[in-house]
Amino acid sequence: MTTQTREDISAELLTFIRESFLAGDPEGELEVDTPLLELGILNSLNTALLIAHIGERFGVQVPLNDVTAATFKSVRPLSEMVHEGLSRT
Amino acid sequence: MSDRRGLHDLLAASAARTPHAPAVVGPTGSMSYRELDERADALAGLLSGQGIGKGDRVLIWSPKSANAIAAMQAVLRLGAIYVPVDPLTPPERFAAIARESGALALCAPGDLSARIPSPLRDRLACVDLDAAPASDAVPRTPVNTSVEPDDLAYILYTSGSTGTPKGVCISHRNALSFIDWAVAEFAPGPQDRFANHSAFSFDLSVLDLYAAFAVGAAVCPIPTEFAYAPERLVEFLHRERISVWYSVPSVLILMLRDGGLLDRPAPETLRALLFAGEPFPIGYVRTVATWCDARLLNLYGPTETNVCTFHEVRPADLARDLPVPIGRPCSGDRAWARRPDGSEAGPGEEGELVVSGPTVFAGYWGRQPQEGPYATGDRVKVRPDGSFDYLGRRDDMVKIRGHRIELGDVLAALYSHPGVAEAAVVAVGEGLDRSLAAFVIRDEGSSFGNVALRRHLADRLAPHMIPGDIRFVDQLPLNERGKVDLAALPTPLHVAQKVRG
Repeated sequence: MTTQTREDISAELLTFIRESFLAGDPEGELEVDTPLLELGILNSLNTALLIAHIGERFGVQVPLNDVTAATFKSVRPLSEMVHEGLSRT
Repeated sequence: MSDRRGLHDLLAASAARTPHAPAVVGPTGSMSYRELDERADALAGLLSGQGIGKGDRVLIWSPKSANAIAAMQAVLRLGAIYVPVDPLTPPERFAAIARESGALALCAPGDLSARIPSPLRDRLACVDLDAAPASDAVPRTPVNTSVEPDDLAYILYTSGSTGTPKGVCISHRNALSFIDWAVAEFAPGPQDRFANHSAFSFDLSVLDLYAAFAVGAAVCPIPTEFAYAPERLVEFLHRERISVWYSVPSVLILMLRDGGLLDRPAPETLRALLFAGEPFPIGYVRTVATWCDARLLNLYGPTETNVCTFHEVRPADLARDLPVPIGRPCSGDRAWARRPDGSEAGPGEEGELVVSGPTVFAGYWGRQPQEGPYATGDRVKVRPDGSFDYLGRRDDMVKIRGHRIELGDVLAALYSHPGVAEAAVVAVGEGLDRSLAAFVIRDEGSSFGNVALRRHLADRLAPHMIPGDIRFVDQLPLNERGKVDLAALPTPLHVAQKVRG
């Protein structure tokens, strides 16, 4: 399996969030540090969809202890978590 | 008995009876009754030193913690009024609540108080909950100001239709009437462990805290971030050996759909599951009833009335294809369905639910006192036995996973953006999938996007009030009555997402 850098993972997550929760974000405003919980981009429903996507796309099961406000704060800690998950497998 | 008790006497009496019993337990911090009692006195001493006394408002802006609970008790012991604010409330909305309530002091952990705009921070006496004094740092003097039943105990701010939060004023009598009923109905005892799911700014938490304190039981606050993790909620239920669980149905649905609730047998300790705030679809109630032997109780009441009716789920309810009834009056209240002509609706008829009695609030802060019966805005149908089925709202208030939201509140925030020409907000989807969708026409020449608009909203609205789905459109689909035409709206994003997935 090809190695995925943090940048690859971030890009992938940004695309998913833009298309799924931001009507495509044609203005290109979503960035890796955009606060996802604070701006209501991730509510409990969207968070569940995102976790499911991470499982399908990367084969990473989000560890229970990582389902925290800190991990889901923005794309940056999220990609970090996925990256760690991939390196464990 | 003639009632000279204050709401704070519940904890004080239990602390005198069973000082070593656990009062607050769990990951947010644990304290015995004595420790909580002493912490409350110490904080009361600090607040009193800042000049806080009878009738003053004190903001409590904090994540769940034993210290935050001690702060509420401290405020009550001074005869003052606490105003709990959710830790996720953005600074601008917090400032609006501080202004509206005329609060003189704030109890908050350091990182939150640092976020308050400086003119406001300079005006508020601040008590840092992180640096709460060790019991021996402040001379420990028991504080217990006597209060009248109609003195206010706390103010809960809710969404207001014009964009300004509305403060629901609850007196000692209001809260105690409800707690007395709850204690009589569930007969909890010192061995009970109450889960506290709801934030302190929501009225569901009043039962968790004060029914536990009334009988010397333990309350187990659930950290706010667990709301995003249904598996952790399930784990919490088992690990903390919860015996009384109270939450909105959405949370229970999330736990059984995504949290593996049904994978393990119900904890043997669990004896009552209480739910309120929105209809619980009967299919899920059947599932829960099969999973556990606990009593299942549907509690009803807007913040303005506390819990004013309730219904215990019976096998006959499970056989109906309707949500669980909201039941019959409790807490010493009277409730009836009022027809448009003002007369009382009889069995089989519909009307607006109207409530009078000891739990009906004192009024909105800064407005005329509430006099006479309170019209809830909820439409109900009278059942053959005189109890009620809930039908829906008669206005623009919606519930999203149990949170009450005035659509006008969200609209006002949208229109406060200089580039928004027109906007509409609707609630779409059902049950757990229910969410807000906003449709926005931008001014010509404005090029702000979804995230920029969210930043604007996040300064003004709590996260649960920010629409999950924001769309820019060229025109708003309206029906012939001038209302947004739900049928003509684009598919909500999360629904489209599910279909694709």
